[in-house]
Amino acid sequence: MSRVLVVLAALVALASVASAHELRPAYLELRETAPGDYDVLWKTPMVGEARLDLVPEFPAGARATSPVATRKPPGAAVQTWTLRAPGLRGQTLRIRGLDVTMTDTLVRVQHADGTTWTKRLTPQQPAATVPEAQGRGEVFAGFLALGIEHILFGADHLLFVLGLLLLVDGRGMLLKTVTAFTVAHSITLAVATLGIAHAPAAPLNAAIALSILFLGPEIVRKWRGGTSLTLRHPWVVAFAFGLLHGFGFSSALSDTGLPRADLPLALLSFNVGVEVGQVAFVALVLALVRSFRQLELVWPRAVARLPGYAIGTLGAFWTLDRTLALVGGLA
Amino acid sequence: MIPALASASAFSWLGPLTVLAHARGGEAASFLAGAGHPVSGLDHVLAMVAVGLWGAQLGAPAVWLLPVTFPVVMAFGGMLGLLGVDLPGAEIGIAVSALVLGAAVLAEWRPPLAVAAVLVGAFAVFHGHAHGTELPAGADGFAYSVGFVVSTGLLHAAGIAVGLVHRWPAGRAALRAAGAGVAAAGAWFLWGAVT
Amino acid sequence: MRRPTLLLAALVLVATARDAHAHLVNTGFGPFYDGLAHPLVVVSDLLPALAVALLGGLRGPGTGRAVVIALPVAWLAGMALGAATALPPPPPASGAALTALLGVLVASDRPWPRAAVVGAAVVAGVALGLGNGRELGAVAGGRVALVGVACTVFVLASIVAGQVAVLRARAARIVVRVAGSWVAATGLLMLGWTLR
Repeated sequence: MSRVLVVLAALVALASVASAHELRPAYLELRETAPGDYDVLWKTPMVGEARLDLVPEFPAGARATSPVATRKPPGAAVQTWTLRAPGLRGQTLRIRGLDVTMTDTLVRVQHADGTTWTKRLTPQQPAATVPEAQGRGEVFAGFLALGIEHILFGADHLLFVLGLLLLVDGRGMLLKTVTAFTVAHSITLAVATLGIAHAPAAPLNAAIALSILFLGPEIVRKWRGGTSLTLRHPWVVAFAFGLLHGFGFSSALSDTGLPRADLPLALLSFNVGVEVGQVAFVALVLALVRSFRQLELVWPRAVARLPGYAIGTLGAFWTLDRTLALVGGLA
Repeated sequence: MIPALASASAFSWLGPLTVLAHARGGEAASFLAGAGHPVSGLDHVLAMVAVGLWGAQLGAPAVWLLPVTFPVVMAFGGMLGLLGVDLPGAEIGIAVSALVLGAAVLAEWRPPLAVAAVLVGAFAVFHGHAHGTELPAGADGFAYSVGFVVSTGLLHAAGIAVGLVHRWPAGRAALRAAGAGVAAAGAWFLWGAVT
Repeated sequence: MRRPTLLLAALVLVATARDAHAHLVNTGFGPFYDGLAHPLVVVSDLLPALAVALLGGLRGPGTGRAVVIALPVAWLAGMALGAATALPPPPPASGAALTALLGVLVASDRPWPRAAVVGAAVVAGVALGLGNGRELGAVAGGRVALVGVACTVFVLASIVAGQVAVLRARAARIVVRVAGSWVAATGLLMLGWTLR
């Protein structure tokens, strides 16, 4: 298993370079406080010092009834104001500028009767019509897609899973390890999202990077025929670090602004999405390894070891990078 | 201007489909349109299923030669239709195909492989040609073609699957009866085509 | 049953493909991922790549192995060439003709010599890569996208060729040939479409 994962290393390594921007969608919340009166919350990600140039467009007849208040928490700009509109049901909301960006916008409308509507707008589809009646199916589909995307496009989570795959031998151990990781991150994802526990973002990111760095030496130990607790029981490591990664998933989820009424549903569908993406990734890796075996393709040792080195190197780089960010943030 | 031109020409090597490509979702719609086309005419459907039935009756190698060669020959006919090559009497040809193929199944006719291949090939060309000339304007070419080919192939597979009842005596009788039905329908279509 | 599943997956992609021809694939996650998605979504690239992998796989592990390396390398070379130079675009029908030809090669399942199969892979890779390079090389971040394209081509070719290389049963090989014939038929129809 550990001999042939060349491509994946290249792929993931490149992915980490490519996704230097973190996946932070914009968020638009419209909360109806009295019939026709809305509290607007508009959160846009920052690119360096500049706010991403996105502007929500409301249906004709809507007008602001208060000045716009702007806050700047780290990495985002949050604007709040109030809006008077003659009912949003059946009306179209558009995010101007979204079609030329690479990010998504999550739109959430909470009507006066307590029902909510959530929709993920994309560069391909920067506008949507608020439906007359709200469907839970749409909430489910929206967060499912968000979950799948988050795992498939989060290089650090994938690299950790790849590291686990490099460590395990045999199907039983693989199943146990992946299950342990899944159970662990599901627990902390739920705990953090429901507000029972909280992990501050900066130390968390550093710790997640550390979990990847931790796998590097273990992979090398395995090449040298050594043994350790990790190599004998990789599921223990998977579980322990899985708890960390779950907090990471949760921060991505709360970044989007969660529908309070549909919180359990959103949490469930996001989690299912993460697992779907993770299983797809594992299946792809296994299929690739299998096809190398079928083609009797044996890579030179230097190439075969690339994935292990990539994990160690990137883990170290991220650990330093995020620790510096953490220290800088404290100072 | 130059880069814009260059990128425009980069797509143009895929052909005029770029120009024709309409609103988003056009590809999915085109795929479905292509998939729906072969099953829209009863004459086509019957003749195609009959090809599968006959193949199953003839056994190897005809039964596996058929699904491999038929789509290519049919697409060749479709290409002729697209190019505007006139194939006179295509409707009559299809009706005759259904008649002859149905009769062959009814009679359990076992000609040499080459004869069977030419017969089926001729039908394939007619069939493809008819669809080629009817291709809707504005559809996405590749998606439409894929849908069209897949749908044809699946019809075939259905014919072969049904034809597998050939193994049992009762199945053989049923198969011949089905052949008689296709032949009768072919005669009816022929009547419609010539009058 | 594997081939039908794969084809089905390809079909789903076809059915859900958006913006494939109109402009570049936009996944919303940056150029690398756009590149990754490109060969899967653009049917005119996917079908010939699939045919090359099937062709290599049918000739067994040795040839399959060679094709799995040759195709993405040639593709990458073609993309580099397409991005770096301003070659005139090939005639409109060449992509369709290539697809049809590769499909016919798969459908006929003759014992082609390894050099011929690898040659076909190189020709197809360079030709398709040239197109990609010309499209993607010009846009911002396009170079990164090109690497993504090559990654997907390699992964796709490996998995397809690997599965086909171990097929022994005659029926299974027939299924592969049928897939080749469908590719050829699509290519022929496209040829008619472009030439009319």
